[in-house]
Order: sequence, then structure tokens, then C-alpha cells
Amino acid sequence: MSAERRRPGALLAELGVHALLLGAVAFALYPVLWVVALALSPGDAPEASILPIPTAPSLRHFEAVVTTTSSEGVWLFGRQLANSVITAVATSVTAIVIATPAAYALARFDFVGARSGTKALLASQMFPGVAAAIPLYLLLNALSLLDTRSGLVLVYATSAVPFAIFQLKSAFEGIPRDLEEAAMVDGATRFGAFVRVVLPAARPALAITALFAFMTAWNEFILAATFLSSEDMYTLPIVLQRYMGEYDAQWGAFAAGSILVSVPVMALFYALQRNLVGGLTSGGVKG
Amino acid sequence: MRAGLLTLAALAAAPLVAPAVAAAQERVEVWHAYRGEEEEGLRAAAAAFMRASPDVRVRLVAQPFGAYASKLESAIPTGNGPDLFIDTHDRVASYVAASLIVAVEPADRAAFEARIEPAHRAALTIEGALRGYPLSVKAPALYVNTAFVAGEVEALEDLAALSLPSGVYPLVMEAQSAYWVSGLFGAYGAGLVDEDGGWGLGTDGATRALEQLRGLVEAGVIPRETDGALVARLFTAGRAASAISGPWLAPDLPPELRWRVQPLPIVRGAGGEPMRPYVTVEGAFVASRARAPDGARRFAEFLMLGEGALLRARRARQVVTDEAAWASLEDDAFLRGFRRAARQGRVTPTHPHMRMAYVPADRAIRKVLRGTFGAREALAEGGRRFDDVTRALPAPVEPAWGLLALGLLMLGAIALSIRRLREAPLRAAIKQSLPAYRYVAHAAIAVGLLVILPLVVGAATSFFAGRGTDMYFVGLANYADILSARGGDLFGNGSFWLVLLVTVLWTAANVGLHVVIGVALALLLYRPYLRLKGVYRVLLIIPWAVPNYVTALAWRGMFHFEYGAVNTILERLGLERVSWFASWVTAFGANVATNVWLGFPFMMVVTLGALTSIPKDVYEAAAVDGANAWQRFRHITLPLLGPFLAPAVAMGSVWTFNMFNVVYLVSGGEPDGGTEILVSEAYRWAFTRGNQYGYAAAYAVLIFVILVIGTRLTARAAEARA
Amino acid sequence: MASLTLSGVEKRLGGQPILRGIDLAAQDGELVVLVGPSGCGKSTLLRTIAGLELPDAGTVKIGARDVTHLAPRDRDVAMVFQSYALYPHLSVRENLAFGLKLRGESKAVIEERVREVAAMLGLGALLDRYPREMSGGQRQRVAMGRAIARRPQLFLFDEPLSNLDAALRSEVRVEIKKLHADLGATMVYVTHDQVEAMTLADRLVVLRAGDVEQAGPPLEVYRRPASRFVASFMGSPSMNFVEAAVEDGALVAEGLRLPVPAGRDVARRALVGIRPHDVALADGEGALAMDVEVVEAMGFEAYAHGSVGGRPFVARLEGERAQAVEVGQRLALDVAPGAVHLFDPETERALE
Ligand SMILES: Nc1ncnc2c1ncn2[C@@H]1O[C@H](COP(=O)(O)OP(=O)(O)OP(=O)(O)O)[C@@H](O)[C@H]1O
Ligand SMILES: [Mg+2]
Repeated sequence: MSAERRRPGALLAELGVHALLLGAVAFALYPVLWVVALALSPGDAPEASILPIPTAPSLRHFEAVVTTTSSEGVWLFGRQLANSVITAVATSVTAIVIATPAAYALARFDFVGARSGTKALLASQMFPGVAAAIPLYLLLNALSLLDTRSGLVLVYATSAVPFAIFQLKSAFEGIPRDLEEAAMVDGATRFGAFVRVVLPAARPALAITALFAFMTAWNEFILAATFLSSEDMYTLPIVLQRYMGEYDAQWGAFAAGSILVSVPVMALFYALQRNLVGGLTSGGVKG
Repeated sequence: MRAGLLTLAALAAAPLVAPAVAAAQERVEVWHAYRGEEEEGLRAAAAAFMRASPDVRVRLVAQPFGAYASKLESAIPTGNGPDLFIDTHDRVASYVAASLIVAVEPADRAAFEARIEPAHRAALTIEGALRGYPLSVKAPALYVNTAFVAGEVEALEDLAALSLPSGVYPLVMEAQSAYWVSGLFGAYGAGLVDEDGGWGLGTDGATRALEQLRGLVEAGVIPRETDGALVARLFTAGRAASAISGPWLAPDLPPELRWRVQPLPIVRGAGGEPMRPYVTVEGAFVASRARAPDGARRFAEFLMLGEGALLRARRARQVVTDEAAWASLEDDAFLRGFRRAARQGRVTPTHPHMRMAYVPADRAIRKVLRGTFGAREALAEGGRRFDDVTRALPAPVEPAWGLLALGLLMLGAIALSIRRLREAPLRAAIKQSLPAYRYVAHAAIAVGLLVILPLVVGAATSFFAGRGTDMYFVGLANYADILSARGGDLFGNGSFWLVLLVTVLWTAANVGLHVVIGVALALLLYRPYLRLKGVYRVLLIIPWAVPNYVTALAWRGMFHFEYGAVNTILERLGLERVSWFASWVTAFGANVATNVWLGFPFMMVVTLGALTSIPKDVYEAAAVDGANAWQRFRHITLPLLGPFLAPAVAMGSVWTFNMFNVVYLVSGGEPDGGTEILVSEAYRWAFTRGNQYGYAAAYAVLIFVILVIGTRLTARAAEARA
Repeated sequence: MASLTLSGVEKRLGGQPILRGIDLAAQDGELVVLVGPSGCGKSTLLRTIAGLELPDAGTVKIGARDVTHLAPRDRDVAMVFQSYALYPHLSVRENLAFGLKLRGESKAVIEERVREVAAMLGLGALLDRYPREMSGGQRQRVAMGRAIARRPQLFLFDEPLSNLDAALRSEVRVEIKKLHADLGATMVYVTHDQVEAMTLADRLVVLRAGDVEQAGPPLEVYRRPASRFVASFMGSPSMNFVEAAVEDGALVAEGLRLPVPAGRDVARRALVGIRPHDVALADGEGALAMDVEVVEAMGFEAYAHGSVGGRPFVARLEGERAQAVEVGQRLALDVAPGAVHLFDPETERALE
């Protein structure tokens, strides 16, 4: 770095950039830090302060959240964490499995119904979910999938599918056809070429799509609360909402729970951040 | 078949093992929304009950309060609900209307009548029949910090006269919430609704009560913008001489705090009448499709009278309805305090309109406390809003016409598709498409079944009206109502057109800022030799990783008048504190700030991805051509980013248009519903305005139509420009 | 190795006829080069041979096998794409092994072949690199290697050198020639480049708008173009054409007078084709009178651009006198004997 010749003013510009970025980071972190402070401060007097610093930090709220047990003495937090993980992972796997071939077909084949299907998918994103919750409940009931993880996974996965299809379709469009054709000449079937060449080439987009589907399931509360009715099936967002009562809210526990819920997603973001940048836009809209 | 054989075998073997296995146990599933002590008390009672009645197994399921009622509504009719559930009496009318619960008859009528107060029995009696077992009552009481107040507080006005150290409020209460102010209204003889379910705050008494409340707030007797958490924190920290709160405050109070509970004081201004808060009676209800109704009844009876009641009093700290239990609770000052408080109050009316009165009443109170409106004016406007949401439902329409129209439409569609299928080119094209169908079939089925079908059915409910799940066909009446602003001013408060305008502004402001901030940060991060690039990138996407219902609440806290960080910062900068939710501009701004914070990382990441695909030599060429940084951005980066950003902007606009959480949680529509957007209106119709699902569905359909047309038009415009 | 026979291959794409009944045969071990202007259907033809497009009519045979309806993987052909189409997620080694693995070859065989190919193409040091970590020439060699490792019956190349710079291109061209000699494989090679076409081909096939215009040994095609199209397409700079009338056994036009070559059957008019290389400065009056407009002097030779009787004409001149040619001058040119090509002015086919 030091050997590099800089233009006069470059240092100043760089400092300016860092200042701007630091400002942005402060803006991004500030509300989250308030949540952290709230989680760490049991019974602090409300103070008009600027810095989110708890006066007497304690892990009491975290302890309370983590050690919740059921009336039968089952360690609920563990159960519910497991439920959340299973549901979210299964959702992202299912969503990918459903969306990937469809996105591929939309990207590569010209078939009757492709345009109207895409339009219907897009339109489904515009319909607010309020109106659909009750019909969905009746449907799951008819399929005997209420209060099961599978039912929830199915609902989440299918609601994640439209977005996943758009995402993957543009990713596949960004992959040259030559690649598949080369594989087919090399001895693969069309499907084989898809699996062995197209999918690996689309890995960043797949990772991001999976992450989005994971988040759909991981953070969702209303459907989970409606479809699940036993504590050992609950996912973590329901548990969080349990801290919000009609008249009073246990903010400390709620905040502590929120942080526990967010940590895995942050970890995934961190792990996938490279893909995030390429995967969201891969291919973009060509031409 | 196999199952049948197994059953036969089991039946045959039964006599052999019968002595070993006691008679089949009845399993009773009980739903509740209790937490903490109350949950533990209920558990203890259930355990005691099962010891006494080994033939019944009770399974307690704690439900989140937020989804409790709507869940009961969907679960019970489909046979997925509990056998017994615990809820408040003010929802009983709607449960009865939806046939969710059955009438009950206490096993021992005489004991029931002797031991339960008539008012509490009456609370659970609808149309002459008892609908549930009254268990306990809840009413606000006055917590008094004995360090500041020696004896009983006699009158509300006495609190104002206390001489207290600075920083200590005479009284903390949720002064902006109608429920908590109901005591004061009661002292002046006013209630949220009158006997017939009409607006009850249009009286002179209500106006005077509200004016007195405003006086107390303005005099600093009661802090501003106080929610439950703040009440608890101020009282806990010894920063309040007294607090109006419920029993749940007690467990969190530190041992070193000395305090007492008493009924709410009298109000001298109201001629010495006591504050009469609303009292809620909690009951146990046997669900209409209970699988174990007998066990459910037995458990409910156990909870109501005798040992169960005592256990709930001692462990759950509930004010139980069983008078006989109180003999042994003589020395429990806390419970007695709450009992006295409850006796002084009045039972919340069970009229179905009651629940719909809270939001307009809250809003009226807030407007007055913020000093933006006079009490009479605000309450009158609240009455108009209340009349609006409780207006008579449209008259039923003979469904035959609707069915006929639908049938004709479908026939037409079928005929058309058959005609097209007959055409040879289409058939050939379909044949050619077969391989592709193998790739899309399962996605089409899954999405069609689980996404499209519920949406279509949901959309179809927009042709129905009713409260709750009990609906009838009204044709297009809902749409006519919405589009004509329910007969009111087309751009009046809460009208569809005004809300649409706000929604469009909301979307434009958010998406615009998302793009500007996202692109700006991406450009900063994209500098080739930037140090710490990865760290910045990760930190900047954090808003995206935390569930938005959490951060939206954090933002709301930051906009608090007294303790919010934003106002604190403003004050340090030498500026005035702002009452953020008092005026439309600031409330809207608070919502936008929150949503911009939530959404900029997405645009930033999309832009970063897009930037990597812009070849560097283009910039170099432009630099050689003498373009400065701004010109390079304006003439190269921006046009090249366009195609990448366009889909993200389209997607983001749709998301923002329907971003319910932020509006609902940050401003909550304040002031006076002005910052409500279309989706949050739909939610309100569905959940806080008497469950008018059909009406909400009509909103949803209108939103859908607007979005489809909007995206079409912008796509057209973009094409035309290109 | 095997021969390749196409008969009557037709293909329509998007409603347009792209291939209009192509007949083509490549002997076992022959290197056939397809040339033609952009958009004439070269790639489509190659893809049809590979099985990536199915013909609407006609048959494709590899050896004695009719493969018209077989999937690409069952045809045992290898193809090198213009874009190379290297699998981005696989290393060079894995790219080379990909086809073999799909065909279920044993590990040992795969390893052996990869090593062999790497040695042949000098890829040894690159085996663990990924496509994005290599230069264009290296990628091109990997693409070739991937085809060679397969040992297919037939190689197909779609403009494999078009992404390389001129120097590298001539280098790789020689490599391919050597490779062809070493492998003795049947190859179909698509190119735009005349030099490639001339130097590589055993047989040259000129395509025009989905039809074979002429096929034959490259020199034969160059020397005896079957049509004006071929004549102008092959050779650089392109052949000059002047329309002339036949008068008294001579071809006559403004600025041109030539005897009708012996044995040609010319009726009344003919299109006279003369390559720029086939003229020389005349000592006397000469057969052509050319008005010079631009001169490109290149040392020993010079290109004079101008017109003959108002028709554009290019002449390549040699020697001392060529350097003295000036703009605005009228040159008298002689035409080398036997270098006059005659075409029917209507059909534009060569007159025999
Ligand atoms: N999928 C398609 N649909 C319609 N027309 C097509 C399609 N693919 C190719 N074509 C047309 O077919 C013609 C031949 O294309 P092809 O790629 O074979 O040309 P080419 O000879 O390889 O050209 P080049 O030298 O530029 O590579 C072109 O006119 C092209 O526009
Ligand atoms: Mg081509």
C-alpha cells in the first residue's frame, strides 16, 4: 500500500469515505443496540440517554428465555429452537427443490403458459396476506396438516417459491447455454447437464435464495401462531410473542429473545455475504 | 381393515388387562394466554385436579395473546381447538355468535349462586344462558409507594398536591389508553359505549374527564406517552409515588421497594365519585366441538370453586370469583387490595361494539393529551369514527345473481379455452411444451394449491359481509362502501382515497430513499482500495437480519417523547423535543425513517452486485474522455445500474406498499389514523373492527388491483422510454 | 474414427428456414472446414450434427449409424464452442475428465487420459486452476483438451480461435493442424477466417444462406470458384468484377478488352472476375485501364484502389514501378493468362 503513489487529496477522500461509512454503520446499529441494551438491563429506570448502555448489565432475561420449561418439565426453549431450525431448514430446502426446476424451465424453455404463469406468480406477490390466512387454515385442515411442522413448512415454502423462482430464473438466464450444451455433447442428458453444470454454476444465487426462504420461515409469526397449537411444536417467533400480553409486555425477555432469534440469521448473513452480493443480482436482466 | 382387526383384538383382550389399566383417561386440552405467575398457578391447579381426578388428563397449552382470538375462531369450528379455554368475558358475545362455545350449567347451582357475585355471573350470561365459568376478575388498582405516601390516597387531586423530590411523578399510568382512563371516565359517569352499544364518550362527563386528564398531564402529575413498560419501570425505580396498573406489576417489583395496593381514588372534580375502571371477568369456556366436554366441565368447576380457586389465588395471584375462598385470604393485603379495586369498578360491557370503541377512544385521548384538539371536539370525532366502523352491515343480496354471473363467466372462460385448444398450432405448441412441464408441474401444483387458491378464496370473501366467521353474501356492497368512503367525505378521515394517497406517498418516499441510500452506500463500498470493506458490509446489512417486528418496536421506543433517543439527541443539539406522533408529518416521518432503515440494505446489496458487473474499462474510457466523478455516475453508472435496479425497485415497491408491520407498530396509525396505509386498514377491519373479514378482503382485492395496474403502467412507461 | 454424411438436412428456427437441404460428406479422418458469411447457418449446421438441434428433414449419419434422432450424448461427438463453455465450477482437471466420468470410465483410465491430453497441449501446470484463472489461449486449449480426452468419433469446432489475438491464432492453428495429423480424426471446423480455412481444410465447404454453395479441396475452390459468391468470399482482397460484352471473340467493356479464354462457352455477356493478384503493370496499352484513387504502398508490393470503367477495382502490384504509382494516374494493366474467371451475369454461376 505504502509503495502505491497516491494523488493529492486521495487520503482526504478516503477519510471522508470512512467517515460516511461509519455514520451509516452507526445508523444501522443504533436501534439494534437499543434492543441489546434492553435485553441486558433488568429493571433499569428509564433514562433519557443517547448511548444505549445498560446501567447494571445482567443476563437475567436471557436466562429466563433460555430456561423456559413446559408444564411437563420439558426444556421448551430447546424444543422450540429445534422446531425453528427444522422448519426453517426444511422450508429452504423445499422451496429450492420446488423453485429450481421451474425457474430453469422458465429460463430455458419456451412453453405454453410460461408467460401467464410468470404473471400469476408476480401477481401473487401483490395480494396482501390478510385475506388468505383463513382459507389457508381450512386447506391445511383438509389436508390434516394443522399443528404439524410439515404443514407449516409447506406453507412457508410455497410462499417463498414465487420470489425464489424470479431470483433463480434470472440467475439461470445469466448462465450461458453453451455450458449445458457442452455437457450434453460430453454425454449428459438435459437433466444431467442441469444438475451437474447449471446448478453448480448458479451456486451463489441458490445460496441466497435458500437464505431468503430460511428467513421467511425463521421470522414468521402469524401463520405459525395460527397453525400450531401445541407448545412443543412452537417456533421461536411464537415464543417471542408470548412475552407480549394484552396489558403488559415483558420487554426485557422479548428483547433477549429477539437477539437470540437474530443471531443465527446474522451468522448466515456473515457466512454468505460474498454470495449475497453476487447472488441477488446474478445475471440481472440481460439485454 | 388392519385397524379394524386390531381394534377387535384389543376389544377381545380388554377384559384380561382391564384391572391393570384404569378406565380410559379423558384427555382435556386447555388453552390459555397466561404467563409467569398466572401460568404457574394454572399449572398447579391442573396438577391438583389430576391428583383428585385421575381419570382426566389436563393438557395446558399456552398461546400467544396476539393470535389468541383469531386462532380460536379458526380452530374450534374445524375441530382443532381445545376442549376448554380461558378468556375474558367481553369476547363471549362474539364467541356465542360464532357458536364457538356451548352453554354450561354448574353442577351445583346453589353453591354457584351463593359463592359467585351476580355481576360476575351476569358477565358470562348471554341471552339468558350461562356461557362459561367465571374464574377471576381483573381491574386496575392503585399501587402506592409508601416512601412517598403514608396512608390511603383519598382523591386523585390529592396526588397532584403531593410534595415530591424532583424527578418523581405523583402518578404514572397509561394515560393515552382508553382502557386505563376508563376509571376516570367512570367517575364522571361515562363509558366507552352506552347500553345499546352506541358511542358512550359523547357526554359532558366524558369531556370533563378528559379535560381533567389533560390538566394532570400538562401539570406534570402524569408523564406523557406512557406505555405499560414505562409505568412499570418508573414505579420500580421509585420514580413514581403511585401507579395505576394490574396485578402483573407486583412480581417484578424489587424487594426493597415498599408499596401497597388500594382501589383507585375518588375524583373531587366529579363530585367525589370514585374512579370506576372497567373490570374484566375471566372465565373458562367449553368449546363447542370439545372431544372431552365432561372432563372440560369438571376441570372448569374445579378451577372455579374451592381448591382450584384457592390455588389460583395463592399461586396465580388472581382475584378469584369464589367468595368462599376469600375467608382464607384474609391476610393477603395485595389480593384484597385488588379485590376492593375490582368491586369499585364496573364490569366491561359485553356488547360486540365494545372492542371496536377502544381504538377511536385511544385516538381521541391522544389528540387531546398532545394538545392538538379540544376534548369535546376530539371525542365527537372519535364518535364519528366509531359509528363508521360499527355502521350497519350491508343488506344481504340474493346469492343467485352472484352465482349466475360467476357461472356465466366460468362457462365463457371454459368455452374460450376449448376453442383455443381445438386450434392446431396451440395443440402443437402444447405438445412441444411437454418436456418443460415436467420441470414446472410440481411448482405449479404447490403454488396453485397453497398460494393462489387461498388468495382466490380470500378474494371471494370480499363479496360477503359479517362480523367474525358468520358471513352472508352481499355482492359488491363492500366495494361500493369502500369506494364511496362509506357515504362520507371522499377524502375524509379514514376514507379509502385518502389512505390510498398516503400509501402512495409512503411507497414513493420509502423506495426513493431506499434507492438513494442503498446506491450511495454501495458506491462508497465499491471503491477498489477501501479498507475494512467486509466489516462495513456485514455491519450495514444487520437491519435486514433482525426480525422487523422487533426493530420496529425499538424504533417506536426511540421516538418516545420523554425517553426516546431521538428527542434526547435533539435536546442535546439545543433543539425542541418533538411529539413525534402528534402531527401527521412527524409521525409519517418516523414511519418512513424506520422503514428506510429496514430496507436500505437490500438495495445496497443489489447495487453492489450490479456494480461488479459493470466493466471497469467503461469508467476508464469516460475518465479519459474527461468526465468528472458526478458525470461518470450520472451518465455511466446510473444508466448501467438501471436494468439491475428496475426489478429490485418493482419488488421493493410492492413490499413497501404492503408493509404492514412498520405502520402498525411504529405510529399505529397516529395521529388519528392519518398514517394508516391500505394494508394496515385491511388488518384493522379484519382484527380490531369486529372481524369484518369480508370488508378486509375487499381492501385486499383493491390493493391487488392497484398494484397490478401500477406495475403494468410503470412497465409500459419504462418500455416506451427504452 | 468415422465418416460423416448429411443428406437433405433442413432446419427452421423461429419460422425462418435456416438450413435448406444440406448435403455434406466427410471421409474418415478428413478435416472439413465450413465457411460462410455471418448468419448463414454454420453454427446451426454444427449443432445439428452434434444433436443440439434436431433437423426438420434429412438424415445425419456418423459412420454407418443413422444418428438423426439420437440425443447428443449418444452420438459420440465432441464439440469445442466459440465461448469454450468451460465449466466454471470445475478445475481444468475436472473439466478434462467431465465427459469421461459421465461415460463411466474408470478412475485409472480418466487419470491416464487427462495426463496424456495435458502433456499433448501443455496444460500440465494448469491442471488445478479454475477457468476464471486462465488466459484466453489457455482456456482455448482446455476446451480442445476436453474434446480430445473424450476420443470421440467426430470433432466439431465452432470458431474456436475467434477469441484469440492474431499471433496466438496462427500459433494455435498450426497446433490444430498437427493435432489433426496426430489423431487422424474426422473434424468439422467452422471459421470466418480465410487463412484458417485455406490452411486447415482437407475439404472446404462454402455455405450461403443455408445452402452449400461449393465444396471441394481448398485450392480447387480458390482457383475455380463455382459462383461469383464463392469467388468474392474466398481471397483477400476480394475478386474484382466487371461486366463485359462479347464482341468478336473478345470481352469488351469500358476500360477493358480481353480475349475470351479458350474453351469457354460465352454467349453475349459475361461477368469478368479478376483477382487483384492476377494483374501486373503493362508495358504497352494493356488489357485494362484503371483510374487510381488510393495507393497503399507496402514496400515491395502496393495495392492500388480505383476503378475500371466506373466499377471499383483493386490491383496488387509488385516491383519498382509499383512504388511510383500515383493517385490520379491511369494505369495500363495486363491480366495473367488463365486468371480470368467468367460468370453468368444472371445466375452468377461460373461459365465453363
Ligand atoms: N433460436 C433461433 N430462432 C430463430 N432464428 C435463429 C435462432 N438461432 C439462430 N437463428 C438464426 O439462424 C441463422 C443462422 O444462425 P447461425 O448461428 O447458425 O449462424 P452462423 O453462420 O453461425 O453465424 P456466425 O458466423 O455469426 O456465428 C441466423 O440468421 C440467426 O439469426
Ligand atoms: Mg456461429
